[in-house]
Amino acid sequence: MVGRLCGEMACHRRDGEPSLGPEMLDETPLSAQMQRVAGRAGAVMGACGRLERLWQQGSAKAMLPRMHGRAPEVVFLNTAGGLTGGDRLDYRLEVGAGAHVVGTTQTAERAYRSGGGVARVETRLVVGRGARLHWLPQEVILFEGAGLERLLVAEMAGDAELVVLETLVLGRAAMGERLRDLRLTDRREVIRDGRPAIVEAIRLGPDDLTRAGTAGLNGAVAVATLSLFARDAADRLARLRAVLPGDGPVRAAASGWDGRVVARFMAAEAFPLRRAVARAVATLTDGPLPRVWQI
Amino acid sequence: MQDADLLKLVQWLSPGFPVSSYAYSHGLETEIAEGRVTSARDVADWVGAVLEAGAGRSDAILMLAALRGEAEADALTDLARALAGSRERLEETEAQGRALALTLAALGEGDGVARPYPVALGLAARGLDLPEETVVRLYLQAFAGTLVSAAVRFVPLGQAEGQGILAALHPVIGRVAAEAIVAGLDGIGTGVFGADLAAMAHEDLEVRIFRT
Repeated sequence: MVGRLCGEMACHRRDGEPSLGPEMLDETPLSAQMQRVAGRAGAVMGACGRLERLWQQGSAKAMLPRMHGRAPEVVFLNTAGGLTGGDRLDYRLEVGAGAHVVGTTQTAERAYRSGGGVARVETRLVVGRGARLHWLPQEVILFEGAGLERLLVAEMAGDAELVVLETLVLGRAAMGERLRDLRLTDRREVIRDGRPAIVEAIRLGPDDLTRAGTAGLNGAVAVATLSLFARDAADRLARLRAVLPGDGPVRAAASGWDGRVVARFMAAEAFPLRRAVARAVATLTDGPLPRVWQI
Repeated sequence: MQDADLLKLVQWLSPGFPVSSYAYSHGLETEIAEGRVTSARDVADWVGAVLEAGAGRSDAILMLAALRGEAEADALTDLARALAGSRERLEETEAQGRALALTLAALGEGDGVARPYPVALGLAARGLDLPEETVVRLYLQAFAGTLVSAAVRFVPLGQAEGQGILAALHPVIGRVAAEAIVAGLDGIGTGVFGADLAAMAHEDLEVRIFRT
């Protein structure tokens, strides 16, 4: 599958491709004195998956391990080991026409007790014509008292393929931690051909952690959304549904409409959710999981 | 004019207004069918959660944005569509919005353009001389009433029991309305993972009474 669109034609940049724009050259130095963590990292992968540009600043790193014939993987890492109030992290990944790239994170991102203010994490993805980007970061773990604002914006060409996974883990389940205090806003936007295709905006506060009934978290400590945007998305819905857990510790369901498939997961334990999500990702992407994942 | 306008709004939001609101359960049918919602208490919790942290609050914000002209109608339409988290959620807001716009146009109100329900209602309410607190509270009460009515028919519950649930939700409606008024479009966000999953799972239910 890798490189299936990387013929002679696709390897030339074309007009109208979502821009690998000059605004990226504007890397205003961050005034880091006031911040415990500030980092920005990104990569531009040209047509056929060749690295065109890579930048990293502060605690953010972007790496491209050797993939030995597999689709290139861009691995992002926050070397500060976690986030707290006032921290700022920016990731950007652009995929040129016809290329197939996997993006992920080296480890789970940890949001610690805020200590005042919120940590902000912004991820920008750009997927060019006929390109495929599978954005499969590891989970975000929220600690007691965390304050976190996340924003993911993905701009894709209409004929591109984009897979986006987002997993949130509330508390350190292995330690039996149950969160009581938390402030999270987590907005994921996919813009296809210039129009919003999906906006998933999650907003969690202390009330949501204790809300009665089954409409809310209802005791879940891990939730995930896995989305696919592709021309042939509808064809993959049945296969995805077939691998979703039925009974058991993970509640999951999927829907498909308007050139996208969305699956959601929730569970009272993180580990079974991670396993169910991995299975769904492998099915939906029809390929291997990112190498840095440890399932 | 306020009295006449209040009557108009109550008419548009009444269960008898032909938008087929009785046909949509917002995923509640799944919860009832699978035994997660079985009592008046469960229904009150479920509907309360959806009001506070789900489509109740989000749609109220969208409706207010349309009412205030905070953004272009087309941009709000795109946003409302993009916020629909599953196929049936999109159908629920689009089909009811289309029916609302068509019926209003037949009454000589509005442009008849099909838009998602909260956007269509907010645009129509622009012409009413009513405080936005009133519009948003009645909007939320109508939404809650639709869900409670679905539960009364399908759990089933007694009619008076259903009205008791709705009456007990009045403080929640007031609180969510007050929040929606200050939130703005950037304040949209939800945390009803169970309800969202239920809406998706509804597509796969073998026996379905409701469209969503």
